[in-house]
Amino acid sequence: MKRNIPFLIVLLGIIAMVQVFGLSRITILGVSPDIVTIFLALMAVLIGQKAGMSFGFLAGTITGLFSGNLGLHMLARTVEGFIAGFFHIPEQSHATARQKINRTYSAIVTAGFLANAISAAGYNPLGLSPLYRIVVLGALESLFTLILAIIANWLFLRKSLSD
Amino acid sequence: MRKFFSPFFKYNTYLLFVAYCCIALLFIKFQNDDMLTRLRTGGMETSAFITDKLQSYGYLLNLKDENERMMQLNTRLLSRVLTLESAVSDERHLQEIEREGAIKTAGFIAARVVDRKFSDRENMLLINVGRRDGIKKDMTVLVPEGLVGRVTAVSEHYSRVMPVIHTDFKVSVISGLSGSMGLLSWNGGREFIAQIEHIPISSTLKLNEEMVTTDFSTFAPRGIPVGRVVRIKPDKLFYSVDIRLSVDFSSLSEVLVAPLKIDPEKIEMMSDKSPNEELP
Repeated sequence: MKRNIPFLIVLLGIIAMVQVFGLSRITILGVSPDIVTIFLALMAVLIGQKAGMSFGFLAGTITGLFSGNLGLHMLARTVEGFIAGFFHIPEQSHATARQKINRTYSAIVTAGFLANAISAAGYNPLGLSPLYRIVVLGALESLFTLILAIIANWLFLRKSLSD
Repeated sequence: MRKFFSPFFKYNTYLLFVAYCCIALLFIKFQNDDMLTRLRTGGMETSAFITDKLQSYGYLLNLKDENERMMQLNTRLLSRVLTLESAVSDERHLQEIEREGAIKTAGFIAARVVDRKFSDRENMLLINVGRRDGIKKDMTVLVPEGLVGRVTAVSEHYSRVMPVIHTDFKVSVISGLSGSMGLLSWNGGREFIAQIEHIPISSTLKLNEEMVTTDFSTFAPRGIPVGRVVRIKPDKLFYSVDIRLSVDFSSLSEVLVAPLKIDPEKIEMMSDKSPNEELP
């Protein structure tokens, strides 16, 4: 993946918009898959922790601006990018596409779960039990996001990850 | 100096993370600040606007289905409108008939047959209403079943009626179904059978069609039943038609006398000398 930062920023903006105005409205068992998490995990794994974190901050700003909870979204997404950065594969490494994929999936699940936990802890509009929100909803959302990532991998990401 | 900054360079990722988190926490801390509230409100408004637009496009995408639904609704409504319109038209028509009927009925005079002279060649009825009751010569006499005849002579209290079954009686008739027109007359013989002349061969008259009086008659109102066609025999140019009369003359006791329908202008036009011809 080329480090075309302006293109990636524009792409992030589009993905954030799709998440806010599209995917967030498709709810299964009260949660919806998160395409921004996939993007952040991919950036963090392929480019690095700083990139993942910065994109996370930017993504949190965009989604927070439209959802009305700016600070919490910024924090959750920044943490998401930061955690996903621990799964970074250096460019010089000889990791196979399969390894990259597995790392990305791991980053998605881990970072997504932590970001959901932060969001759940900071904002509880339905007054649900925090434990229920963190464990059940956070885990479910991470699972749905992982399924979406697998589908996205089959459809679009194979070539990018094998580069 | 370099040693001092080296940890910053080494752990710059963590420092950046801390910086981002601090900014985020500041936003959380001051989320009720006026500026941030305005920013949030602006974001919400933009979000609502975009959502509204997206829903509008969604509506456009579903326009075909919506169009079909509206077409079905339109068809149902159109059918209801047509039904209602026809009902209104029928009602209006009925009201007109009722109004006209009321006028006619208002002008009708009920009479009783006090005497009758029936023979093979001459049949006459005498009714108990005369000039005093407003009866005039050429008034139409009828019963609900059909045409009886016309008033030929009027005294103060009585009137003489020439029935349909009279050799001198003639009236213009028309078929309600085929529109075939002819002249009704009675040639003697059986009292319930009369003849219709001048029905051309080209007409589509059929058996059992009901014949009624036409507007051409100078005395009878149109639409009075006369009888039903029982025999059609083609001659050279015209059919020879027999009809069974609607009225049973053998048991006639009560009749109605219709108001006189005379249009002087029409009679004048039908006469030999019209006013225009008299002009020098």
